[in-house]
Amino acid sequence: MDEEEAYAHVRNTLKEERMMPFSTSEMEVVRSVGQCINCGTCLNHCPVTRAVGVERFTGPRGIAVELSRSPPEYWSSTDRIYLCTGCGTCREVCPKNVDIPNVVNLMRRRIFSQRPDLVPQSLHQQNEILRKHNLAFVPWDDPDEKAESRNMRLERLDLPFIKDKIRKGAEVLFYPGCQAEERAQEVREAAKIILERFNVDYTLVEKMTCCSLPAILVGDMEKSIELSTILKKQIDDLGVKKIVTTCAGCTSNLNEIAARNNWEIPVYHILEFLVEDIGVHEVSKALSPMDDHTVRVTVHDPCHLIRHTSRRVLEYAHRLLNAIPDVEVVESSAHDLCCGGGGLVGRHSPDVSRVIVKENIRAIKETSAERIVTPCPLCTAQIEESLFRDGSDIEVDDLTVFIAQSFEGG
Amino acid sequence: MTEFDVIVIGGGSTGTAVARDCAMRGLKTLLLERDDIASATVGTCAGMISSGFKYYHEPDIMDLCSHEVVHLKHIARHIVAKLPILFPLMDLSEISSGGKGMEEYEKRVQERGVPPVLILTPEASREIEPSLHPELIASGYVEEFFIDPFRLCVLQAKDAEQHGATIRTYCEVTAIDIRNGAVHTVTYFNRMTGTLETVEAKVVISATGPWASEIARLAGISLELRLNKGAHVILDRRVTNVGISTRAVDGRWVYLFPHENTTLIGTTALDTWDNPDELVTSQDEIEYLLRSFEFVVPSVREARIIRTMEGVRPMAPVWKVPEGEVTRGYEIIDHGQDGVSGFYSFIGGKLVMCRHMAEAVTDIVCERLGVTGSCETHIKPLPGMSEEVDVLMLAEKYGVPSHALERLKARRGSELVEILEMTREHPEWTNMVCICEPVMDAEIRYAIRTEYPQTLNDLRRRVRLGTGPCQATFCTFKAASIMAEELGLTGSQTHSEIVDYLSERWKGKRPPLRGAALAQEEIVNGIYACVGNLEQTVIDYEPKPWEEIR
Repeated sequence: MDEEEAYAHVRNTLKEERMMPFSTSEMEVVRSVGQCINCGTCLNHCPVTRAVGVERFTGPRGIAVELSRSPPEYWSSTDRIYLCTGCGTCREVCPKNVDIPNVVNLMRRRIFSQRPDLVPQSLHQQNEILRKHNLAFVPWDDPDEKAESRNMRLERLDLPFIKDKIRKGAEVLFYPGCQAEERAQEVREAAKIILERFNVDYTLVEKMTCCSLPAILVGDMEKSIELSTILKKQIDDLGVKKIVTTCAGCTSNLNEIAARNNWEIPVYHILEFLVEDIGVHEVSKALSPMDDHTVRVTVHDPCHLIRHTSRRVLEYAHRLLNAIPDVEVVESSAHDLCCGGGGLVGRHSPDVSRVIVKENIRAIKETSAERIVTPCPLCTAQIEESLFRDGSDIEVDDLTVFIAQSFEGG
Repeated sequence: MTEFDVIVIGGGSTGTAVARDCAMRGLKTLLLERDDIASATVGTCAGMISSGFKYYHEPDIMDLCSHEVVHLKHIARHIVAKLPILFPLMDLSEISSGGKGMEEYEKRVQERGVPPVLILTPEASREIEPSLHPELIASGYVEEFFIDPFRLCVLQAKDAEQHGATIRTYCEVTAIDIRNGAVHTVTYFNRMTGTLETVEAKVVISATGPWASEIARLAGISLELRLNKGAHVILDRRVTNVGISTRAVDGRWVYLFPHENTTLIGTTALDTWDNPDELVTSQDEIEYLLRSFEFVVPSVREARIIRTMEGVRPMAPVWKVPEGEVTRGYEIIDHGQDGVSGFYSFIGGKLVMCRHMAEAVTDIVCERLGVTGSCETHIKPLPGMSEEVDVLMLAEKYGVPSHALERLKARRGSELVEILEMTREHPEWTNMVCICEPVMDAEIRYAIRTEYPQTLNDLRRRVRLGTGPCQATFCTFKAASIMAEELGLTGSQTHSEIVDYLSERWKGKRPPLRGAALAQEEIVNGIYACVGNLEQTVIDYEPKPWEEIR
């Protein structure tokens, strides 16, 4: 048997024994699990475990232990691995920096490639949309209807419409992400208003494509690489120097991909861009009181910003909010708690999502805030729906929209 | 006085296999084990049912090993797994040195359904195992089989029991009486009741591994063995994708095998005259193993050592040669030659041969007792081996996490259905007692009711309680309370159980304690001393009967 046949034989044995060797980068994630000292801190902080109990969701430690098991057996965690919202709380509280969110992605990837039959149908459906449209949502059939929906949203928020700009050689790419592109269009529009206001040299992409995070969460490695490649090509074609986005998930995912593949293009959430590139002082000059009275707001911190990017982003959020006249920020006791919408859990097990968000809703209602703002369209949707179900009259805004609304002269 | 055809001394792999064979051939059989089933030598092995690759200078032994692998796969497929093993080569000279071994190995691969020794390029080797040294020039590749040694012994004992044998654990043989040049009675000290009991026997078989000399002495016989200590270092979790074998610092072969959710590195080989009950892995042994693997897996030292374990090879008394050159075959000593007929001792042997050893001695016993009937231990399966089990369907049906059931299946095969049935009446028994494995309440009760454990440590061998990454940090209290309920223990007895078990785990944890393991140990200490309040608990600790005697 020559070396090639030998290798083919070995690969076949591994397949028969259902063993998938870890690559070097995967091994790094796995090694981080080896640091676990079983202190149980993650279990006490996991929002999913707290919401549904340890019997239904064994929690981060349980997931880590399962991963480190005999390789063929990770498939059997399918009844739990899709309940992880990927909030990253476990990694944040872990004294040994065990990288559980990436462990979860790694396991989902392995299940998708070896036992696709065990991936929940809802995630396959999500993936079909990604495969068909390169977007996380089914796009509007009729562009006129899409424009009409956008206009209605702008009208309700009393925001002007600015035409899209696609310009090669612009300095900044504004990348709205699928949610703001296809659903929460007001966020996309608000960002354009902000960028125009500060005379930023920006462009949109020619054809909006997904950042690849949903494909990673489904476990479809191939699709996720394809999507990030398409986006990178658009970025190269446009020749931009920076990427600005309004979505927490896009921010963290693009940061990770850019770092891993040496893009050498910084990725900012628009809050970071406003504070670091424009400056709070400059921004504050554009702001005016929103209403005839003091508006009391509370902030929800998206996991993809505070735990997957940096807690500093939310410090920026507070600095910007404090710069708006007559806005008073009150703190919710659950401001940095996962809203339950991440990790595609909302899609796969909405019942779990709804239990998780109860804690956020309880805490929001305990504040005296009349409005809650958050710099992520996904969190916005999750909290808005939950408050509505709860019969609360607290209003919900994406923070980008809220800032655009507070510009002097509308 | 009860009379038995055969008394087997020793509840390891050989003793349980002998009891099974004797019982299956209709002999009235008693197995006496001074501790628990699989509590000594076999419990410290790597579980490899070796093809005998290392022993190419003994072709008969290779034949024997290879046939036995086939038999064990046939009778215990549910606890046998295949492991790919790489032999990374750092140097051309290493390729030329393996010729004879490869030739002998290749003659026997077909019956086991594995390939001959394959040679992989460095790229392919690193694709499969990225942790290998980047400068390797090639690697050899073989496939070997592994068995769960604890389950094998317990299943053999249970099967023996189902065929009419009596299994008595915690019964230490203290006297063998001889009448008219033949064995007559065996007296044992029942550690659980603290009483001496005597039974009559036509034949006594000592399957006591390194304690064979001690047992022979009870019959006034001097039996020489060459005892050789072997230590393993156990790493937290699986640090490699596949098994790796390489030459150690002194040229011996050593291995690193991912095993369950740990990794085993072994072994050392030191001739020993110490009491086999009191061996401890030395710092030199730990360093010998780590240093040997650093040549081919440079990152091995980054992994966390969770414990060490050590056992003794009961080898034939062949002297003046290195351990590796002593025969791996076994011998049945007929003490008729020493003036005690009906008394037989095993020396030598390997895990993979246990069934064969049993067959050979049972043939002798049957001839002696005039019993006809042939051996069927290689034909009839062990308990739990039946058709495929649908884990997902059962998980749904009984409301148990599928991963827990997959693990349960890996330990017990089709027995898992009986365990799940227990939860029909007691849905609360689906609670997880150990999250590392995981192990649920019902399995612990099942083990207590049908597999004669007397201590928490025995439960560890039945269900892998406390063997995972946390090394009995979270499961002990929960398991102890179930045990108390099932066996009717008092509060104080339950506390002693916990203390005993923690001390037993501590024995293996202490020698390699360093780095991150120290942090974890502090947590364990905190949990038991502060949260569990064990430090403040007054336990009337009654020394165990054997502790008073010693």
